[in-house]
Amino acid sequence: MPPPGASVAGWGEIMQGLAIRLAQESPIPLDVTLSCRPGELLALVGPSGSGKSTILRSIAGLYRPQTAHIVCDGEIWADSTTGRDVPTRLRRIGLVPQSYALFPHLTARENVLAAIREEPAVDADRRADEFLALVNLKGLEGRRPAELSGGQQQRVAVARALARNPRVLLLDEPFSAVDKMTRGRLYQELAGLRTKLAMPVILVTHDLDEALMLADTLCLLHRGSILQTGAPLEVLQRPATVEAARLVGQRNIFPARVAGHDPDKGITRLDWRERPLEVRLQSRWKPGADIAWLIPPSKVILHRRDRQSRGEAENPVQGTITSLIALGDTIISAVKLDRAERRELTFHVPRHVAERNRVALGEHVGLSLLAEAIHLMPAAEPRGRRS
Amino acid sequence: MTGLHRLAGLTTALALIAALTARAQSQEPEPVVAAAADLQFALVEVADAFKMSAGRSVKLTFGSSGNFARQIRQGAPFEVFFSANEDFVKDLARDGFTRNAGDLYAIGRIVLMVPKGSPLKADGRLADLKAALADGRLKKFAIANPEHAPYGARAEEALRHAGLWEAIRPLLVYGENVAQAAQFAASGNTQGGIIAYSLALAPQVAALGSFELIPADWHQPLRQTMTLTKKAGATAEAFYAFARSPEARATFRRYGFVLPGEAP
Amino acid sequence: MDWTALKLSLELGFLTVLALLPIGVLVGRWLAHSHFSGRDVVEAIIALPLVLPPTVFGYYLLVSFGQASPLGQFWQAMTGRPLVFTFEGLLIASIIFNLPFAIQPMQRSFEAIAPEIREAAACCGMGWWETLRRIDLPLAWPGILTAMVLSFAHTLGEFGIVLMVGGSIPGETKTIAISIYDRVQAFDDASAWTMSLVLLAVSLVTIALTYAASRRIGRRLG
Repeated sequence: MPPPGASVAGWGEIMQGLAIRLAQESPIPLDVTLSCRPGELLALVGPSGSGKSTILRSIAGLYRPQTAHIVCDGEIWADSTTGRDVPTRLRRIGLVPQSYALFPHLTARENVLAAIREEPAVDADRRADEFLALVNLKGLEGRRPAELSGGQQQRVAVARALARNPRVLLLDEPFSAVDKMTRGRLYQELAGLRTKLAMPVILVTHDLDEALMLADTLCLLHRGSILQTGAPLEVLQRPATVEAARLVGQRNIFPARVAGHDPDKGITRLDWRERPLEVRLQSRWKPGADIAWLIPPSKVILHRRDRQSRGEAENPVQGTITSLIALGDTIISAVKLDRAERRELTFHVPRHVAERNRVALGEHVGLSLLAEAIHLMPAAEPRGRRS
Repeated sequence: MTGLHRLAGLTTALALIAALTARAQSQEPEPVVAAAADLQFALVEVADAFKMSAGRSVKLTFGSSGNFARQIRQGAPFEVFFSANEDFVKDLARDGFTRNAGDLYAIGRIVLMVPKGSPLKADGRLADLKAALADGRLKKFAIANPEHAPYGARAEEALRHAGLWEAIRPLLVYGENVAQAAQFAASGNTQGGIIAYSLALAPQVAALGSFELIPADWHQPLRQTMTLTKKAGATAEAFYAFARSPEARATFRRYGFVLPGEAP
Repeated sequence: MDWTALKLSLELGFLTVLALLPIGVLVGRWLAHSHFSGRDVVEAIIALPLVLPPTVFGYYLLVSFGQASPLGQFWQAMTGRPLVFTFEGLLIASIIFNLPFAIQPMQRSFEAIAPEIREAAACCGMGWWETLRRIDLPLAWPGILTAMVLSFAHTLGEFGIVLMVGGSIPGETKTIAISIYDRVQAFDDASAWTMSLVLLAVSLVTIALTYAASRRIGRRLG
């Protein structure tokens, strides 16, 4: 990715696809540099107000931040230093907004036709129908948006965006307004379409699972700045900072100090109030450094009463169960650890295991923290009060 | 597609201009005659007679003499002006808006009119009016606006002469011109008014109440003067001449006007 | 029944509407989509004829158009006819005092189109004119129709301004509203009655059409 501040003219030579740099102070703070290659699907993930839609609209030319450098396939779409600003209609973008923005007075076919500009009239009709067939709307070409379901409207919007033959496809929370079942179907369709799409695709969503399912790259946004960019699973399990970790929903975050490394055994040792820990080797941390570590709830293993398991030797801790929430087949539980650590440890356990092991409120249980899954991050910024 | 719409826009604009100019040119050359409102009925008859004898028509428009004088100064397209007095015509002539100094065509009279069912009596000497003022029978009384309607000015003079002006003033309703005053007087919305004799004699008005002449020496005479404006054309001149013909004079006489040169 | 006056009124109404159609669409759309600091002032100026007494308005028109004014003299020199006491002058006055009736409903109608729709049009590659033709006009036509109908009816009924700027010249500026006034003064109740009935009927039809059109706006965009 080109470093921020690199001259925009050089970007086009570096890659095909989309490269952007946006910055402003107000009304919405932004400080973003990212790129997306042809065929890559980049998910912009973040809470409401983090600027995801603003970024998308800036790429589309519907919003002009104070500082903007946008290059697509070598063509400069925006450059605030020279004042260059290619209008939206000349940028060849395909945008699927959250509300779909279908033309209410036109049929599905006519909506798609609106984006087809090169063909002579005879062929255009056929091409429009092809796009609609591509998104599985064959037979519904003559319907108006009011006569289509939410999922069908979304597909028309996608077809229209694709019919533009766009250089980049922009999707703004396109699945948020449909029900779960339809959403599942639409995920599959988009995944299937992707193989035929030769353009960068940018998907804005607040749903991490969606990003996990669809994206090649996940870009974590918070208050207009990118906290982390990388493969979705990487960002989820190996967040770069405590802030990022909290944003992706990790709860088991604790402070500790690096005691030392054992490269031969592949472990790093931590000094933690509760007990010393042995974790996967992460040698970038100097011994003596203050760090924060996390472990996903699924990697905290309950010591079973009925039989011993091999993992019990790994970082065993004891605690008292303070909460139990059943969600379907899984129990989500939190324990208060025995020793000094005040914070609770969250873990998941299948329901049948919980029942067989008499997991109940107030019960004292043993847990193992799998070394492989413990991930180290810089120490958290001190907050106003201790949590 | 864009070209087609531009063409449509252009055609519409042209049609608009064409319509306007067509209007301007298709104007029938019928001259417009401005006449004081007291001639509302009399002049219509004269114009009809003119059409019968000369085969040509004029368009009549009635209002207050003062208003018409102002409009003529502002360039109104009137070709003949029948004023209810001579002063307006004299001023216009002096200021160069007329072709001639003007000709007296009739001398008008005012009457007291009371509508049917009014508590007032049609007493031309205004004695009953005086009494009505005193005993509260009179609530509203109509005259034309003295500022620009000669008949209104004469009504004021008559009321002053009878010593009633100050008392009646708060109860006055002013008509835009003497025809509107007649409307107010005849409609029953007032208890009566002072209007033109020529209006009161018209059957439509006479049927609505009763009236009596007010003595002519109680006010300045209504020396009704007509004139040709600078815009007057041939038809206007012909009508102007016709208005002084014996036939026209007979019509004026029937509507209570005193003709110039005749005894009242 | 003064047919000349009725014909005159209908001509005046029709030509006013014809002139106001492009003006209303362009200005209404511009105001709907622009956000500049002077916008409130512009809207207030356009709305003036709604609140100004007709006589005040007529007076100012007279001062601007009259024989003594530069505009009036220029017009007289160009066309040989004055702006006052003529149909053309009345038409110009009519266009001006109907501006809010034409612009406001159209503006509301354009404003009712969600910005995302217009953005989608831009994304599809549509330019200014194409967006107007394919998106704005088809969606806003009920407001446009309302504006036209209101302007037409308002023109038919206008009295004070017509009288001041036009006088009451038969065949030129004596509209049906003036004619009714004139017939009352002539004690011709029959004519006054008939013509009033015609105007009443036109007003009723206008209101009915306007209400029907607004319902359609709601249904289409709701």
